[in-house]
Amino acid sequence: MTDQGSAAILDVEGLVVRYGSRTAVDGLSLAVRRGEIFGLLGPNGAGKTSTLSAVEGLLRPAAGAVRVVGRDAADDPLAVRALIGVQLQASSFQAELTLTEILRLYAGLYGLRLPAEELGARLHRAGLDGEAGKRFRQTSGGQQQRFSLLVAMLHDPPLLLLDEPTAGLDPQARRQLWSQIERARGDGGSVLLTTHSMEEAQAVCDRVAIIDQGRLVALGTPAELVAQHKDDPRVLRAAHGEVTLEDVFIGLTGDEIRD
Amino acid sequence: MTDTALLRPPPTGLALRTLLRADATVLLRNRQALLLSIVLPVAILFITGAGGGRRQVLDPGYLIGLSITYGLMAACRFGYPMAVARDRESGVFQRMRVTPVPMWTVSVSRIVVQLVLSLVMSLVVLGLGGLRHHLTFGIGAWLLVLAVSLLGAAVFLAIGQAIVGLTSTSGQVNALSRVLFALLLVVGLIGSSGLLGSTFKTVAGWTPVGGLSNLYSAATGSVGWGSDQVIGLVASLVYAIAFGYVGVRWFRWTVR
Repeated sequence: MTDQGSAAILDVEGLVVRYGSRTAVDGLSLAVRRGEIFGLLGPNGAGKTSTLSAVEGLLRPAAGAVRVVGRDAADDPLAVRALIGVQLQASSFQAELTLTEILRLYAGLYGLRLPAEELGARLHRAGLDGEAGKRFRQTSGGQQQRFSLLVAMLHDPPLLLLDEPTAGLDPQARRQLWSQIERARGDGGSVLLTTHSMEEAQAVCDRVAIIDQGRLVALGTPAELVAQHKDDPRVLRAAHGEVTLEDVFIGLTGDEIRD
Repeated sequence: MTDTALLRPPPTGLALRTLLRADATVLLRNRQALLLSIVLPVAILFITGAGGGRRQVLDPGYLIGLSITYGLMAACRFGYPMAVARDRESGVFQRMRVTPVPMWTVSVSRIVVQLVLSLVMSLVVLGLGGLRHHLTFGIGAWLLVLAVSLLGAAVFLAIGQAIVGLTSTSGQVNALSRVLFALLLVVGLIGSSGLLGSTFKTVAGWTPVGGLSNLYSAATGSVGWGSDQVIGLVASLVYAIAFGYVGVRWFRWTVR
């Protein structure tokens, strides 16, 4: 299965990622269009993080190509990283720096010289203006997630990569983050996000790709995927009543626990 | 959304300046590192020099050098490797790896900040040491002490880098560096003092602490430049290069 979208911001073509003898991504092809929020779904070990690492230029694919706005991520990783904003699940910021200092640091790392008023305005938009002078370690989990997204969007990139952006957040914080993601799209950006929350995928994603064992197993809008697979016996076995995106996901990827 | 043509990796100078400012801020807020790097060497200087004048057992130049060496060890033990290990563990480096700056700038910035701290500490200890022991140092001595401090900082930073390169958690870094630096200090301190005989003193002269102490003794004018100093210089260069290689070769930016 392939996905060759028009006016793609991100093009992944026949991506193969190997770690020694283990194949983590096996011929994955997909495209994220301009102004699109695209969800990459898959159980643990499906190849989501490896795919994101290839997009970030952190690893060289064994085969295939990843292009961001036409630039090859393996050949020109620094140029590609200037075009993307990244929120990583396991990443953090220097605990001893204040939010303003971290913003100034990352502005410099993206080649921006933002005046203090601009930094304040950005914090205000993310609902963090009261926390500007607080050190990162003194902020709550929800504030840290919002701040992390703010840093990812600091240079107004055409593509945002969000790795499980709402993991561990309460419903209010999750909704606020969804609003921030929608705003990024509203400003003309595209978003590629990974999530284990089917509710999130349905709520914010225009299209989703389900991958398993490094391969693309389904692609479309959440409604299309439900419509296409609602009669699949594997999906019906997973369903409790009306078929949902989660039933499709479980039906297509199996119900055994992955580590 | 910004015009994609305008989104390019930043000039290296801008990235380095930004990193230096952030790293210096982090270091200045690390009270433990500052205390152990500057206040304790000064305390050692005054404690070991207690009594002063004729009653003093050890040479003032040696005591000043020993205090600076301790400060270098403390700065490079509690500052650099612990900060690197913590930032690696918490994902700070993982976040920086996806920015459009080469990661060598991240390392260079941290090393420069650490070197500056080491030089400031050396100046403070040398100045106070001169006052304490009623010694006057010429410009040559100040410059020589700074040069030896740069070499010493390189040695202990290289050892710190090797420790973070060969371990994966801040707990391991803490435990290993604690044991290693205590061992180095004791062997260098007791050995190079000559209290355990000439053979042990010769062996100690090849250790990082012993070698540096001999260099400081000559730099402050307490002893002349001789074979002990040549050994100290050669040993220090070898340690800096060897441990630096190990630390860079096996270092990983992420723990996974």
